[in-house]
Amino acid sequence: MQTKKKESSLTEFIDDFVNRFATEITIDRTLLVEHSGRVFLLTENLKKYASKGFYYAGTYLGKIKSGRFFPSFNLLNMITEKKGNSIVVNKKTAWLFVCGRDVFKKGIIKVSGSPRKGDYVLVLNTYDECLGFGRFLNDLEGKKRNVVAENLLDIGDFLRRERRSRN
Amino acid sequence: MSSRDFFISRYEELGWKYHNIMLEQAIRINTMNIEATDIVERLKSIGITIKKVPFLNQGYWASSPKFSVGATSEYLLGLYSIQEAAAQMPVTLFTHLEDKMVLDACAAPGGKTVQMADSMHDTGVIIALDLKKERLVALANHLERCHISNTIVHHIDARHAARLGIKFDRILLDMPCSGNFATDKNWFKQRTLKDVERNAALQREILTETLKTLAGDGEIVYSTCSLEPEEDELNIDWAIGSLNLEVQTINCYGQRGLTNVFGKRLDSSLEKCRRIWPEQTQGFFVCKLKRRKAA
Repeated sequence: MQTKKKESSLTEFIDDFVNRFATEITIDRTLLVEHSGRVFLLTENLKKYASKGFYYAGTYLGKIKSGRFFPSFNLLNMITEKKGNSIVVNKKTAWLFVCGRDVFKKGIIKVSGSPRKGDYVLVLNTYDECLGFGRFLNDLEGKKRNVVAENLLDIGDFLRRERRSRN
Repeated sequence: MSSRDFFISRYEELGWKYHNIMLEQAIRINTMNIEATDIVERLKSIGITIKKVPFLNQGYWASSPKFSVGATSEYLLGLYSIQEAAAQMPVTLFTHLEDKMVLDACAAPGGKTVQMADSMHDTGVIIALDLKKERLVALANHLERCHISNTIVHHIDARHAARLGIKFDRILLDMPCSGNFATDKNWFKQRTLKDVERNAALQREILTETLKTLAGDGEIVYSTCSLEPEEDELNIDWAIGSLNLEVQTINCYGQRGLTNVFGKRLDSSLEKCRRIWPEQTQGFFVCKLKRRKAA
C-alpha cells in the first residue's frame, strides 16, 4: 500500500507518505521513537519517561512492516490540519466509506487541492473530520457511478481490529 | 445454599434488597475533541436517544433501536467513549489533574485512561500499566481513536510499578475485581467467596506496592465494580490501619461506605467512601485516599 523502502530513517518514511497528499508536516526527529516497528511521536515531557521501554507512547504515527509504512489515524489528522489533498463526501458516502467501500463520484461534495491520478487523498465528512484516506483515480469527468477514490484505510478499522482481537 | 442465595443474603445483611436491574448504556463525551452540545445534537440527528446522567458532567445515557452506539462514525472519530455511568466517577474525584504525573495502575481497556487525559487536556503525563498483553491492544486502540498524546503504556504488573522509578502525584487504582451481577448475567453461577477473597488479597498487594510510588501529598483513587465488602470497605479499613492512609471526603453519587460489615465495626472514616448498589448504574465502590499527616 505505501512506499516500499528497505532502509530509511523514520522521518523519510513519514515524509514520503505525507508528500503523497501534496503537503508537508514538520516533525522533530529527536522526538520520534520506533518500537517493534511502530512509530511514536513523543513530547519533551514524555521523552524523560519513555526511556525504559514501553508498549505505546505519545502519538502513534504508524507502523513499518516489511519495508512499508502504514499510517495511523493520528498522522492522517495531522495531514488534515496541513490541508493535504482531500475530498469531502456526503453523509451516505461517508458511512459507506467507513464500512470499507470506495468513493464514487456522485458522493463527492468538494475536492480540495489538486490531486493527480495515483495521489493519496484524505476522505473527509461534512464536518471536515478525517474518515481515512484513499488513492485518487482522477475520474471526476467520468460517469456518476465511477470510483473516484479507492479506499485504503478508514476509521471502521477500529471495529475490525476489535473483531480480530476477539477471534 | 446456592451461590446466588449466599450472595443475595449477604447484600440483605448489608442493607440492600436484591432485585434485577436493566442497565442503560452510557457514553462519555471526549471534550478535548468536541463540545458536548455539538455532539449531543449530532447524535440526536442520527437517531440516538440521549439523556444526561444527572450526577456526571460529561456522561449521557444513549441508545438506538437500529444500531450499536459503539459503531457510529462519531464514536470511531473519538468524539465519545462507551463508559458505564458509575465507572465515570473515579476520575472526577481527583483534585486538579492538569500537568500532573499520573499512574493508571490497571489501565486496560483504557476508558478511564482516556477520561483522565481528557480532564488533563492532554497535559502532564499518564503512565498506564496492565498485566495482560491482549488487553493492551484494546488500550492502544482506545488511545489512538481518541487522539491521546500524553500517555505511556507499559506491559507491567501494577505490583511492580516501583520499578519505573517515578513518583506520582495521582494514582488511579481501578482494581481487578470480582465484578457484579448487573454487568454479568452469569455472575452468581461463576463466583465464590474464595474468588472474592483472592481478589481482595491481590488488591491489597497492588495498593501496598503502588503506594511506594505516591508523591508526598499525592492522591489515590481506589475503585472496584464489586459489591463484596472484602474488596471494598474491609480492604480500605485494612489500609487505614496497615498503610497509614486516610480516607478523604468526596462529593459524588452513591451511599456512604459501610462502617459495620457482618458485625465487624470498621473505622468511622469509611463512611466517606461511596458504595453504589445497582439501580441506575452497575454496582460500584470508590474512595479517595491520602497519606495520613503526622500529628
